[in-house]
Amino acid sequence: MTLHIVSKSPFSSNALADCVGTFGDDDALLLIEDGIYALSGDIPESLAAGPVYCLEADAEARGLQIPENIRAIDDAGWVSLCAEHKPIVSWFR
Amino acid sequence: MAKHILALCRQAPYGNALAREGLEAVLAAAAMEQTPELLFLRDGVFQLLGSQEPASIEQKSLLRNLQALPMFGVETIHVCESSLRERGIDAKQLEIPGAEIELVADTGEFIRGFDTVLSF
Amino acid sequence: MDTMQIEGREIPLDKEGYLRNLEDWSPAVAEQLASTEGVELTESHWEVIRLLQDFYREFELSPAMRPLVKYVGQQLGADKGRSIYLMQLFPPSPAKVASKIAGLPKPTNCL
Repeated sequence: MTLHIVSKSPFSSNALADCVGTFGDDDALLLIEDGIYALSGDIPESLAAGPVYCLEADAEARGLQIPENIRAIDDAGWVSLCAEHKPIVSWFR
Repeated sequence: MAKHILALCRQAPYGNALAREGLEAVLAAAAMEQTPELLFLRDGVFQLLGSQEPASIEQKSLLRNLQALPMFGVETIHVCESSLRERGIDAKQLEIPGAEIELVADTGEFIRGFDTVLSF
Repeated sequence: MDTMQIEGREIPLDKEGYLRNLEDWSPAVAEQLASTEGVELTESHWEVIRLLQDFYREFELSPAMRPLVKYVGQQLGADKGRSIYLMQLFPPSPAKVASKIAGLPKPTNCL
């Protein structure tokens, strides 16, 4: 199961779209940094087939509400996700 | 056993430095006997288009460098089928002599087969 | 800036002694670069130097050891496409030494 990490806003980068295009059934998605902006607008509904996580500190910093279907995690949760998944793909641009 | 490494190439060749940096990382790894597999997807497929003449914008040809991949032990180039279709590119327009072009329909499943994925 | 003097010309070199401009290369330049590397050029050396220049024209990069061995093997035959053969011609590091003498940049992926 792949962990996909997206760090760019879907409104300015293809990172999220490219990521979702390769998403497998049991894969997980983690939004960090400006990737958090995916929580804004209509996008959360169609984000990904599997579980979607976001880094709580990055969401708070940007003043974004975390919808119920998105799981908020801290750095320790991030580390656990990385340990549970292989491979890890960073969509950083 | 050597780790199974995938390099994901998703940037067009000349608009930013990422495509070139990615290829340099791949060549360095290959020179150290850690040959990665390559998957070109989204705008990355533009890197493989034949007849690039970047001298006209005073850049070196990324395609020429890519054509060296078979010399570095990379004999199969994986290309996302739907990315080609979206861009109206026929697989016949891709020019990497000495390498086999393999179209990948399910990129998610393909990616899951690797230990480590580098994304460029 | 480092330079070398030859045939009344002054040729710029980078800090590791590679030519800055490939157009400055000539067989006489190669002889002089070879002597700074302690290599005396024979026909066996020249065929590898010409091959490296072909490689550079084809791929626009200088080969590291592995692709150099493969290319030499393809073009000059399996008995020459071996690291030990190239090591004897261009010690101690054939990809770097031969690239330098051929007037090419240092192999970028050669650590």
